[in-house]
Amino acid sequence: MRTETYEPHLMTVAQVRDETADVRTLRLTFTDPALADSFAYRAGQFAFYSAFGEGESVFCIASSPTETGYVECSFKLTGKVTSALRRLSEGDVMGFRGPYGNSFPIDEMVGHNLVFIGGGIGMAPVRSILVNCLDRRSEFGDITILNGARSAADLVYRDQTDAWTARSDVRCVKTVDPGGDSEGWDGEVGLIPHVLERLAPTPHNTKVVLCGPPIMIKFSLISLEKMGFSGEQVITTLENRMKCGVGKCGRCNIGGAYVCCDGPVFTAAQIAALPQEF
Amino acid sequence: MSTETLLTPSAPDTATWKPRLVAFVCNWCTYTGADLAGTSRTEYPANVRIVRLPCSGRIDPHFIIRAFEQGADGVLVSGCHPGDCHYTAGNYHARRKFMVLHALAEFLGIEPERLQFSWVSAAEGRKWADVVSDVVAGLLRVGPVQPTWGGAGELPVRSLSEPPRPVPEPLDVVGELRATAQRWLSDCRVDVFVGYGQGSLPGRLRPAFITSPDEVDQLVWNEHAVNNLATYLTRGLVKRHGRVGLLVKSCDARAVVGLLQERQIEREQVTLLGVPCIGVEVDGALAPKCHTCDSAWPALVDEVLSAEVPLTPVDGEGLAAEIAWVEKMSPAQRRAWWQAQFDRCLRCYACRAVCPLCYCSQCIADQSRPQWVSKSSDGRGNLAWNLVRAFHLAGRCVGCGECTRVCPSNIRLDLLNAKLAQVVRDEFGYVAGGDPDLPPPLTTYLLEDHEEFIR
Amino acid sequence: MSPTTYLADSAQAVLTAILAAGQRVVAPVEQAGLLAFAHVEQAEQAQLIGQTRASAKELAFPRTQRLFGYRFGNPGVELLPGEEPPAPTVLFGVRPCDAAGLAILDGVFGAEPADAPYLARRARITVVGLSCDQPQAHCACTAVGLSPTATDGSDLLLTPLAEGVLVEVLTARGAALVDLLGEALRPGAADKAEVTARAEAAMAPRALPAGLADGLAAAFGEAAWADAAARCLGCGTCAFVCPTCHCFDVVDESNLRGGQRLRVWDACQFGLFTLHASGHNPRADQAARYRQRALHKFSYYPRAHGRPMCVGCGRCVNACPAGMDIFEVAATAAAGQG
Repeated sequence: MRTETYEPHLMTVAQVRDETADVRTLRLTFTDPALADSFAYRAGQFAFYSAFGEGESVFCIASSPTETGYVECSFKLTGKVTSALRRLSEGDVMGFRGPYGNSFPIDEMVGHNLVFIGGGIGMAPVRSILVNCLDRRSEFGDITILNGARSAADLVYRDQTDAWTARSDVRCVKTVDPGGDSEGWDGEVGLIPHVLERLAPTPHNTKVVLCGPPIMIKFSLISLEKMGFSGEQVITTLENRMKCGVGKCGRCNIGGAYVCCDGPVFTAAQIAALPQEF
Repeated sequence: MSTETLLTPSAPDTATWKPRLVAFVCNWCTYTGADLAGTSRTEYPANVRIVRLPCSGRIDPHFIIRAFEQGADGVLVSGCHPGDCHYTAGNYHARRKFMVLHALAEFLGIEPERLQFSWVSAAEGRKWADVVSDVVAGLLRVGPVQPTWGGAGELPVRSLSEPPRPVPEPLDVVGELRATAQRWLSDCRVDVFVGYGQGSLPGRLRPAFITSPDEVDQLVWNEHAVNNLATYLTRGLVKRHGRVGLLVKSCDARAVVGLLQERQIEREQVTLLGVPCIGVEVDGALAPKCHTCDSAWPALVDEVLSAEVPLTPVDGEGLAAEIAWVEKMSPAQRRAWWQAQFDRCLRCYACRAVCPLCYCSQCIADQSRPQWVSKSSDGRGNLAWNLVRAFHLAGRCVGCGECTRVCPSNIRLDLLNAKLAQVVRDEFGYVAGGDPDLPPPLTTYLLEDHEEFIR
Repeated sequence: MSPTTYLADSAQAVLTAILAAGQRVVAPVEQAGLLAFAHVEQAEQAQLIGQTRASAKELAFPRTQRLFGYRFGNPGVELLPGEEPPAPTVLFGVRPCDAAGLAILDGVFGAEPADAPYLARRARITVVGLSCDQPQAHCACTAVGLSPTATDGSDLLLTPLAEGVLVEVLTARGAALVDLLGEALRPGAADKAEVTARAEAAMAPRALPAGLADGLAAAFGEAAWADAAARCLGCGTCAFVCPTCHCFDVVDESNLRGGQRLRVWDACQFGLFTLHASGHNPRADQAARYRQRALHKFSYYPRAHGRPMCVGCGRCVNACPAGMDIFEVAATAAAGQG
C-alpha cells in the first residue's frame, strides 16, 4: 500500500481508444491485484495521471464506479504530459494517484428526472455519472442526454452516444455547432444552449449535470435559468490547474474554495457565490 | 539513492569512471570529418557522443549547458573553418557566441578542459581523431565532473577590493522635477509620468506612476532612487497608459537605448526626463556601479533637470577590481566561490523581473517543451539558470546593477554581467547602451574576430 | 497550568548545552553579508541578533524535495523512495514570527489528507524560539496578533532578560530537549511582560484595519487592485522569503534511465502559476495575482482559520524589488471598497 502522499500507483494501459483526432481514452488496470479489489471512487472525482519522465496531469475519472476492475480517463492533447500519455500503448506502465475531490451527489439525484449536458471533452465527467445512473436506471425519473461538440469530428463517445440513443428509456441527443456538421451527420445542428431550449426539459423535480468549456457553461446557465431551473438544480464541475490534489499547492483556489478539495463538483448556486475568477 | 545516481548515466566512481564527452558538430564539415576518420579506420577514444547539427551557428549554448546539467564531463563544439561555412557565415556568428561562453565558463571556474572548441573540415579525419583524443586526455586529467554543484568551502563571498564609499548629498532637483512632470501631464505630452515616490519603509523610495498633474507632489528624488524605471516600459505600461514620461538617471537611459536598439519600444512612445545623478545608495554605501560611472548626465533625453553637478573624479576600478580579484583564484576556488552563491539561489527570478533587458514574454526558464533549464532550486538547476541568464545578457547588460540589488540571496550577478561586458568590450569593441543604431554584438561578426580559444 | 519555565545564563549558553548534548543544530549564521539558517557546530558560529534574510521554513519545506524516484525497466517502471529526511535537528534561534510561520505550515500540510513529505521532515525538528528584542522597521507581528515574545510554533522559547534568559517549555518535544541539557538550565520563573512591552514600543506602528477579511472579500472587484499592482514586477521574492507561503510546483527531472519527481517552491505572482494547458488563465494579469496574494493572507485564510496567514515578519516588504507593501495595499483596498 502506498504511504506517501504523492507517490502514484503503477497502472497498466489495458486499452487505448481514440475518441477524436485529439481526444484519447485510456483504460488502466492496477498492476497490484490487491489494489484493484480495494480501489473505490465516486463519479465526479478526479485523479493525477503520470507519464514518468514528463510529469502529471489531472483529469476526471471518465469511467463509472459501476464499471469495476479498471479506470478510464479521456484527455485532449494539449501539452507536455498529454503528449507523453499519447505515446503509451497497450501494456505500458503509467502512474495514477487518486481519487480526489468531491463527487456528483448521486444520492440526492435519486428519484429525480436527470438532464446530462456535456460539451466537448466536458462529456468525460458527465459520462462517469451518466453511466453510473444508467446502471441504476430504475432509481431515476426521465433521463435526457445532450452530447455536443464543435464539429462532428470532435464529438467524443460517439458509439456510446449512439447506444444511448437506441435505448427506449432515455432521450439522447447529439449536436454540433452550426457549420460543424459533415456529410452523414444524423444529429442536431446548433449550439448547446439553443438545442437545450428546443429540448425544453421540465425543471420540475429535475437535476441537471452540466460540464464543458467556460463559454458553453455560461450560456447554458442562462438558458437553464430562463427555463426555470434554479442554481441548486444545476450541478457542474470546475477545473483549475493543480499540482497536489490535497489542498496544499495553493493554485486551484477560487476565493476560499479549493477546487481539489471543495470541488470539482459545484452547484451553479455555489459557483455564483464564488469570486468570479475562473 | 541520490539524485545523481538516478540522473547521471553512471556514478562518478573514480576507479571505474570513464569521461563522457558530448560533441556538438556541424553537419557539413566536422561530422563529415568524423565520418572520414571512421571510414579511414583511424582510432580514437570511444568516449565521445556526437550530436549533429546543421551548422555550428545552430549550436545554441543551451545545448552545452544542458549537456553539463545532464551529466556530461566535457563538451566539444566543432564546425567548419572560417570561410568554409555551408551557410556562408554561421561559424562566424558561432565564434562570437563561443568566445563569450568560453569566457563565462572560465570565470565560473569550470576547467577549460571541459569546454573545447575546434574547426575540423570534411577532409580532416585525422585532426578529428587527434582533437577527440586530446580532449579526452584533458578530461582524464581533470577527472569526473563534481557530482553536485554544492558544498562550498570557507571562502569569502564579498571581496574587499574596494572599501565602501559614502554617498554624496543628492542634488536638489525635486522642485523642477515636479514642475516638469506637471507641465508634461497638463500639456498632454504624456499620459503617465513614472518617477520615484516615498516608500512605505523609512529611507526607501519606490516607483510612482503619476497620471494627473495634481499628483506630482508625490514625486521625490534623492540617493535612494535606485530602481531602474526603464524596466516598466516593457511591462505593460505603454499598453495601459499610452505615452509614457520616464525619469532616467544616466544608467537607466542606457537601458532605454538597449530597448530601442532591440526594437522593444518606439522612441515616440516615451518622453525621457533626465536627472543628473552623482550616485545612489545600496546597502548603506555608494552603489558599486557608481564608483566608475563617468556621467552624471543621461544621454538621449528629451529634457534634463538643471543642477550644479560637483566634479567628482572617477577613481578606483569598481567592479573591474573585484573581477580581477575573482580571477586571481584558482579555477577550483573560483568554482567553489560561485558555487556557494548559486547554492543560495531561490529561483525567485527577481533578477529577471527587474532587468530592463529581460523582456521576453516567455522566459526560456519557464519553457517546458523542451525544458531547457531545470526548475529545481538545487545545484544543477541553479547553475543552469544563472549561466543562461548571464549569457543572455552578454553584450546587452547596461550595468544598472538592479539584479544584484534585489537578489534576496546576495548573489554577485553584477560581476558575471560586468565580466561579460569586459569581454564584449575587449573583443568586439562594443559597449552596451551607447548607440541605439549599432547592431548588438552577438548578432553580427567581423572576419578578424579572435579565435585563439579554438583548436 | 502555565508552562514549566527555567532560567539560563544566556541564549548562547543554552545553545552550547544543546550542542554538548550531541544534537544537530541549525541556527542563524552570517553568510555573504546576510543572515541565513545553517548547520552550526559551535555556539559561536550562531549569530543571534537580527532577522535572517530567508525564513526558517526551508528546513521543513525545502526549496527542492524529491517526492520519489523511478527507473525505467524493460518492461515497466520501478518506483524508488523519496528523499530521506535529514537527521533530527534543533532549529535554534527562531524568532517568534518564524516559529509562528511553522505553526501555520503545520496546519496547512497537516490537514487531512496530510502531506507525508512535509510531516516526515517536521517530525524531526525541535524549534527553540528566541524572543525578539530588536524589531526592525519592517516588523509588524503585533499587527497580526503576535508579539515579539509569542510562543506559537516554538517547542522552547528563550526570552533574554536582564538577569539571564527565561526558558519556557511549551511542548513535550521541548521538554525532551530540556531533559538533555542538565545543569545549563535551572528551574525558575521570571516575568517577560516588560521585555514584551519594550520590544513592542520599539516597533513602528503598524495595524491592520478591523474587519479586513470581509472588507477585502468585498473589494474583490475593485479597480484599485490594478493601481496597487502597477509596481509589482511579478517575481517570487515575497513568497520565497515568506514564513507562511507554501505554494509549490511538482516537476519531473529525468533522462533515458529514470528520473525523479520533485516538489519545488512556486509563487502565486508568477504568470504561469495558474495557466491552464488550454491557454486560459484565471489570474491573467498582475492585478489578479497580487489580489490573490493579499486575499489569501488576509481574507480567505482568516475566514477559514480565524487568523491571518501572515506572521508580520515584514520580509516581503523589506525584500520587494519594487517597494510593494502588502499591509498598505490590503488596508487601502479594503478601505476603498464601497
